[in-house]
Amino acid sequence: MKKIRSKLISSVLLLLTLVICFLSGFKFLSMQKKEDVFPTEGLTSKKMLSSYFQTLKNTWGDTEVYIYEGQEKGGNLLIQGGAHPNEPAGFITAVLLIENIQATKGKIVIIPRANNSGFTHSDPQEGNPQRYSIETSAGRRSFRYGSRLTNPIHQWPDPTLYINPAGQKLSGTESRNLNRCYPGRKNGRLTEKVAYGIMELFKKEKIDLAIDLHESAPEYPVINAIVFHENSEELAALALMELQLQGFEFSLEFSPKNLRGLSHREWGDNTQAMAILLESANASHGRLKGKTSPALILEGKDKNYVKAAKLGRLFVPYDEEGVPLKLRVARHLAAVKSILSSFEELHPEKKTEIKNMPSSNEVRMKGIGPFLHPPN
Amino acid sequence: MVAIFALLAMILKLPIGVSLAFSALAGSLLGGEGIGLRHLIEGSFGYFDTILIIVTAMIFMKVLQASGILDTITSLLLRTFYKKKSALLLTAMFLVMFPGMITGSSTTAVLSTGALVAPVLIKMGLSKVKTAALIAMGGILGMIAPPVNILVMIMGAGVDMPYVGLTIPLLIIVVPLAIVISLWLGYRDIKIIEYEKMKAVLPPSYHKQYGFRLYLPLIVVLVLMLGQSVLPKIMPDIGIPAIFLVGSLIGLGCGRPFNFFKATQKAIKESTPILCILVGVGMFIQIMTLTGARGWIVISFLSLPSIFLYLGIATSMPLFGAVSAFGSASILGVPFILALVEKNAILTSSALSAVAGLGDLMPPTALAGIFAAQVVGEPNYFKVIRHCLMPALFELVMGVGVLILTPLLDKLI
Amino acid sequence: MQIVYNLIVLYLVGHLIWYLFREKKFWNKVCAVLVLIMFLLRLFLIK
Ligand SMILES: [Zn+2]
Repeated sequence: MKKIRSKLISSVLLLLTLVICFLSGFKFLSMQKKEDVFPTEGLTSKKMLSSYFQTLKNTWGDTEVYIYEGQEKGGNLLIQGGAHPNEPAGFITAVLLIENIQATKGKIVIIPRANNSGFTHSDPQEGNPQRYSIETSAGRRSFRYGSRLTNPIHQWPDPTLYINPAGQKLSGTESRNLNRCYPGRKNGRLTEKVAYGIMELFKKEKIDLAIDLHESAPEYPVINAIVFHENSEELAALALMELQLQGFEFSLEFSPKNLRGLSHREWGDNTQAMAILLESANASHGRLKGKTSPALILEGKDKNYVKAAKLGRLFVPYDEEGVPLKLRVARHLAAVKSILSSFEELHPEKKTEIKNMPSSNEVRMKGIGPFLHPPN
Repeated sequence: MVAIFALLAMILKLPIGVSLAFSALAGSLLGGEGIGLRHLIEGSFGYFDTILIIVTAMIFMKVLQASGILDTITSLLLRTFYKKKSALLLTAMFLVMFPGMITGSSTTAVLSTGALVAPVLIKMGLSKVKTAALIAMGGILGMIAPPVNILVMIMGAGVDMPYVGLTIPLLIIVVPLAIVISLWLGYRDIKIIEYEKMKAVLPPSYHKQYGFRLYLPLIVVLVLMLGQSVLPKIMPDIGIPAIFLVGSLIGLGCGRPFNFFKATQKAIKESTPILCILVGVGMFIQIMTLTGARGWIVISFLSLPSIFLYLGIATSMPLFGAVSAFGSASILGVPFILALVEKNAILTSSALSAVAGLGDLMPPTALAGIFAAQVVGEPNYFKVIRHCLMPALFELVMGVGVLILTPLLDKLI
Repeated sequence: MQIVYNLIVLYLVGHLIWYLFREKKFWNKVCAVLVLIMFLLRLFLIK
């Protein structure tokens, strides 16, 4: 009798397990649905990364590449967002460009979700929301807040010790960090293949200038920064002057030669492109963050960070006003624009002309919503 | 949340893991997040890799026991060392540390070679709990020792410091500690015994019966582990769980025959309560982060006046280790390195890793303590941790000392 | 390698369920359930 009861309890518990798995599994899987992106009529072609590197086809590493080509030949620009899907300003800036611009001269290649797999899950123990939404002129659009790393169900297991393609020793989880996997491996892990695919894109699209859009935690020293490869030193300095004139403070950071596998290092070393990485301040992926919510992502208001700023622990100014997403996106837009115009100054023959680029000032004042395509 | 946890665990005597899970659920409800099922489950996944390592290591240990390999090696070590006290202690310490050194995981060390040396030490007169304390400390020191120190790697990733040039600083910290701690714990209690007495406690050796192949599982496991850290380009990196399972399967044909399913079932039975603690802690941390409690703790320690900064490091990093030493390194280690930016980051992170490593003694997770207790068959792991207090203090003093003396050491190295 | 790890998880899921039915103490069963949830979600490549 006792035995039967025990078995009965076990059966009930097993059923409960399945119910919990089903309910939570449903939520986890919901992250696999991509948010829509609405390119402008100026879009010349939309490709997949797998068209540059076949092996990526039908994997979670494959991702959209939006190409805007002007009538006139000019410079070839790459803008990459979403290398770290928990850094929304990078992704949103790329989306804003895709949904607004037209190219009149040169070619603009935009990858909004460089690590597509990273968008499909959230980091354990970070308490992040799965989505945040932005009000457009006609309805809300919601975007996924992903993880810094590739989804472990797409790349598993992690090695104990990760030696990246550039030979750097890192902890095992970094094998899923796209921005440590450059220049990639043809037969490597998924993230390394994505990195390899992006390097192939550099070759085939003959990229002259590449900008990688990121965000970092406010306590991290490289922040509100233009990180430049030594091949773009002059370019970065020129862009900085222009940004300062517009009232944006940035710090210039030299890409360290001994820190390998990062985009600004390996793009610069392995391709003919000038390589730059931009950082803005995102409280929602910091270690000091207070209550975690979509509002923290969008408004960037956080008491802990205000306190930390007063203690002199931060590398960016942080007050009660917070650092909202619209400001972070505006900074990225301003920096992209300044880098482009400085690039033109240095290489007039490689000019890229973009029409309808959202102005950083307007984004800062009016917010992101007015520049987004309404949802279908 | 902490109060609810205390109520469930202490008064209702629920298992620690279940209490943690329920208090996380309560925290989610009180924090206005609803049941937050997604958050709870997601939090537990923070330990998924650790859990796989634990289960497979436990299976490996059960295989070593069941096949008679453990007895054989105990007998071998006893015959070699029954007259040499210090040599035994230092060898035992090194043996325990070794898997930790090459995998960066204290659990791996405690559950593999820790299980090998435990019976030897006990038979030589060291009490169960002190043996466990030595194994636990060995695991922690192994985790900190070069060539692989994951704690430093985690901190390095947070401040863009490449994992280069750490061997010497880490050795400076670990070698004196290993010597002092093993002698401190064992020198007084270990007895040099007569040959006849030794014979009497000698477990059966299966060496004659099965010969060299008896040692094969252990050799394969150590070679595979060593390979992935020393020759990563040549050796396939199959990950620690797979290594343990390969070793276990090889063990099937290398010694006394046994039932592999029963060995696994035993491993599951013994490890489930501990795995459950990890699941519970994972949920707890997720909700703490969600409600802002984690950030509040970090900022509180960071706002200590600078004279108390070292005190803050010495207390908060081991305490936060209740989450896991890795969590402590990431959540607190990185801000502390940044707070000490004017110092050499390599030395700072090495010293902080020694402090953070102690987190593996901090209940309720206390991975090193729990598994060391299990290896020697001591049901109450708090007794083991009590004996770790002095050694832990040595390590703490060493860590903070190096931190303070960084400018001086910087010039010396 | 991923297939190998899936097999490892499958093997462990089997054992956990076996344990769930063999174990007599209720709260130990609950412990097994908490661990089992994770293993099942990974086995089916959901999380
Ligand atoms: Zn980033």
